[in-house]
Amino acid sequence: MSVDLRPGETQGSHSTSPTVCSVWRTGRAAVALGLVILAVGVLITLFSPEQGESRPLDPADTSLAGSKALAQLLRDRGVTVDRVDSVEAAVAKATEPGRLLLVTATWFTDDPALARVPGDRVIVGSTRLPSQLAPGVRDLPGGSRERSREPECPLPAATAAGSVFIGGSVLTGPPGSTGCYPAGKGWSLVSYPHAGGTITVVGSGEFMSNLRLSEDGNAALALNLLGTAKAVTWLVEPDQPAVGDLAGPEGKSVHDLMPPGIPWAVGMAAITVLLLALWRGRRLGPVVMERLPVVVRAAETVEGRGRLYRARRARASAADSLRAGTIDRVTPRLGLGSGAERHEVVAALAVRTGQDPQQVGAALYGPAPVDDAGLVALAGYLDAIERTVSEH
Amino acid sequence: MALTGRAALVAALGIVVVLLAPQPGAALAGVCLLLAAAILVDLVFAGAVRPLRFHRSGDRLIRLGQRAEVELVVENPGGRRVRGALRDAWPPSAGASPRVLPLDVPAGERRRLVLTLDPTRRGDRASVAVTVRSLGPLGLAARQGSHRAPWSVRVLPPFLSRKHLPSRLARLRELDGRHPALVRGQGTEFDSLREYVVGDDVRSIDWRATARRHDVVVRTWRPERDRRVLIVLDTGRTSAGRVGDAPVPLAGAQANGGGLLVRPDPRPVPGWPRLDWSMDAALLLAALAARAGDQVDFLAHDRAVRAWVSGASRTELLSSLVTAMAPIEAELVEADSQAMVAAILSRAKRRCLVVLLTDLNSASLDEGLMPVLPQLSSRHLLLVAAVSDPRVAAMAAQRASAEQVYDAAAAERARLDRRRVTARLRRHGVEVVDAPPDDIAPALADAYLALKAAGRL
Repeated sequence: MSVDLRPGETQGSHSTSPTVCSVWRTGRAAVALGLVILAVGVLITLFSPEQGESRPLDPADTSLAGSKALAQLLRDRGVTVDRVDSVEAAVAKATEPGRLLLVTATWFTDDPALARVPGDRVIVGSTRLPSQLAPGVRDLPGGSRERSREPECPLPAATAAGSVFIGGSVLTGPPGSTGCYPAGKGWSLVSYPHAGGTITVVGSGEFMSNLRLSEDGNAALALNLLGTAKAVTWLVEPDQPAVGDLAGPEGKSVHDLMPPGIPWAVGMAAITVLLLALWRGRRLGPVVMERLPVVVRAAETVEGRGRLYRARRARASAADSLRAGTIDRVTPRLGLGSGAERHEVVAALAVRTGQDPQQVGAALYGPAPVDDAGLVALAGYLDAIERTVSEH
Repeated sequence: MALTGRAALVAALGIVVVLLAPQPGAALAGVCLLLAAAILVDLVFAGAVRPLRFHRSGDRLIRLGQRAEVELVVENPGGRRVRGALRDAWPPSAGASPRVLPLDVPAGERRRLVLTLDPTRRGDRASVAVTVRSLGPLGLAARQGSHRAPWSVRVLPPFLSRKHLPSRLARLRELDGRHPALVRGQGTEFDSLREYVVGDDVRSIDWRATARRHDVVVRTWRPERDRRVLIVLDTGRTSAGRVGDAPVPLAGAQANGGGLLVRPDPRPVPGWPRLDWSMDAALLLAALAARAGDQVDFLAHDRAVRAWVSGASRTELLSSLVTAMAPIEAELVEADSQAMVAAILSRAKRRCLVVLLTDLNSASLDEGLMPVLPQLSSRHLLLVAAVSDPRVAAMAAQRASAEQVYDAAAAERARLDRRRVTARLRRHGVEVVDAPPDDIAPALADAYLALKAAGRL
C-alpha cells in the first residue's frame, strides 16, 4: 500500500463524472439484458401466427371466430366461394343460376337490390333481421342462449346433421315455412320457399365458426345448407376505413386535403419537443440534500393545552389556573408567605384593594364560572385586583 | 453532454422548413442530419471539462449573520478554451450565490471566480460538487462534468450578547479592586497590604503588620480568582423548541418564506431554538469569567457527551468555545440527566460553579435531574439557567375574549409549573436564572457577578 503525498493532490480537485469506460462497465449488463429482451421479442413476433383483428364468420379469417375452415370444406367439395364485402359486388356476381347468397353481416345488407338477387339465400346472424331479404320472418323479442339443440323438424338438412350448437334470435316464419331447432316460442332456424328459391334464416352463426365447426353436427348442417349450390356469394361486412380516410362531400378524404408536408412536420415537431425536453431536463450539477433542524415552537404545547381547554369548555381548570397565577403573584406583594391561608390572603387583599372581602373571596376561591362570559369577567376582575395591588 | 435551447430552436425552425419544402421527407432527414452533425461538431470542439483543475481559498470561519467569500480558481490545462457555465453546489442553508457563474477560461490559463455564502444557520457547510458545462463553438451542445473541490465553512454562533460585555466588565472591575472604594466584604481572598488612608474601614487594619512598621497598615481583599466554572449545555429535546424572534434568520424561517412549491405557512415565523439562546448566554458568561480570572470548561450533553472543552487558555477560550458549539444541534431525544451528572462529576474534581443551561420543564426535570440533584449540589455550586418563552407571557396577558382567556389559563398553568420547579430547585440550594431570550445572557452574567461578589464561588 502506498500513499501519494504529492503536494496539492490531497487538497486539489478531482473529477467525479463517469468516464466512457466506467459508463460502459456499469451499463453493459443493462445493455446486454435489453438486447436479450429485444431479441426474444423479435423472435416471438416472427414465429407467432399473425393475429389480425378477428372478423367473425369471414371466409378468409383464420381466427377462432372466423370461418375459413368452412370455406375450405366447401371448396374441397367443388363449391366456388366468392367473398364479397359490398352489396354491389354481390349483385354483380348474381349472373349464373345455381348461385347461393350467404349473408353473415345482417346489419348493413337490408337492400332492395340484394333482395332482387335470384336463387337460394342463407341469412346468418342475430343482430338485426333484414326484413327485405327475408320477408315474412319475424324476430321474437328476448332471444335464446346458444347451446346444442336437436332439430325436431322435417327439414332434411337439419335432420341429417342432428344436434347443432345454435340459438340466438328466436324466429317465426311465414305460413308454409319449416322451423327447426325450437327455442322459446319460435325456432332458431327457419326455411321457406320464396320466388323460385329457398330462404333460410339462422338465429346465430356460431356453428359455422372455426371454433365450433368440428363439434356436434355443426359442419354437417353448414355443408347441407351451403354445399348444395354450385357457387356461394359470401357477403361479409366491409373493412371499416379510419375516420380520416372517409371521403367528404367533395369526394376527398382529410388526407387528400392535407398538404404533404404536414405529417413530416409533425414528426419534426416531435423531435423538437424531444430536444426541448433534453435541454430542460439536464441539470447543472447534483441535487443537494441537507438535514435541517426541526422547526417546532416551544409554545406549541401551551397553545395545545389552551385549545384543549377551549374544546372541552374546561372552565373549572381554566379558572383554577388563572386564580393560582394571580394568588402566586399577589401574595409576596401583600407581605404574605407562600404558605398563607386562604382567609389571610382574602383579608389582606380586601384591605389593600378596598373591596368587599366576600367578593374578593368568591373571585379567588369561589365556584367555577358557569359560562364563557363569566370566565372572561373573572379574568378581568383578577386582572383588576392585580393592577390595584401593584399600583398601591 | 448537454443540449442548449439553441438546438431546440434550430429544430423548431426545421419544422417550418419541412412544412414548406417540396419534398418534406427528404427535408426532415436533411434537417435532422444537419442538426446531428452540428451537435457532434459542438461536442468535439467544446473545451474538455475533465482535465480542469480547481483551487479554492477564502473564508473558513464566519459568524452567523456574516457573509463569507469563497474564491474558486479554475485552471484550464487543456488545449481548447472552456466557455460556458459553472455551478458550485452547496447545501441550501449555506446561501451560496450566484447559483450559476459564467465561465470563460482560455487554454492554459486560469480564472478566479468569487462565490458569496450567506449562511442561514450554524454548523459546517461543505461544497458538494463543482459542475462545469462547456459550450461548443456553435452553442448547440455542451460537455458537462462534475468535480469534487472540497472546501468547508464553519458557521459559528453569532455571540450577539457581546454588546453586554463592556458593562459587565465594568462591574467586574468594581469588584476586582481596581475601583478606588475598596472596602472589606467585596471579596474574601487576601490581596495585599497597604498604608492606611483616611476612610478605610478600621476593622481591616492589620495590627501585626502595623507593629512591624511605623505606619498603620491595612489589608486589602479582592474577589477570588482562579475558580472553576463549568458550563453545561443540555442539547436534549427541550432545547429544540423555538422561542423569541430570530435575530439572524435561520433555515427554518427561510423554508417558510421562500419557494414557490412550499405552501406559505400562516403561523408566525418561529424564532431561534433555546439551544442557540443558551449558547449566546454561555458565550457571554465564558467571556466574563475568563476576564475575571476563572477557568472555564464547557460540556454539551444529551444522552452522550456532544462537546467538551477544557483547559483552554484565556485568550483562546472564546474561539475554542464557538468552534465547539458550531456543529451542535438539538437532538430529539430526552436528555439523560444521570449520565450528564456522571459526566460532570468525573470531569470536575474540584469544587466549581456548574452552570446548567436547560429548560425548566417540570416533567423532564422530575424524572431526570431532581433525583440526582443532591449528588451534584453537595459537591458543586449549581446554577440552572433557562430561557423562558415570551410567547407564553404574551398569551397569559391577553384576556379579551373567551378564546384568549382559555389560552391565558393554559399559559398561566405553564408559568405556575415553571415557578414551582424554580422554587423546588432553590430549596435544594440551586441558583436559578429564568429569563426571556433577549435577557438570558445579561441575567446569567449578573447572577455570576452576584455570586462572585458574595464570595460563593
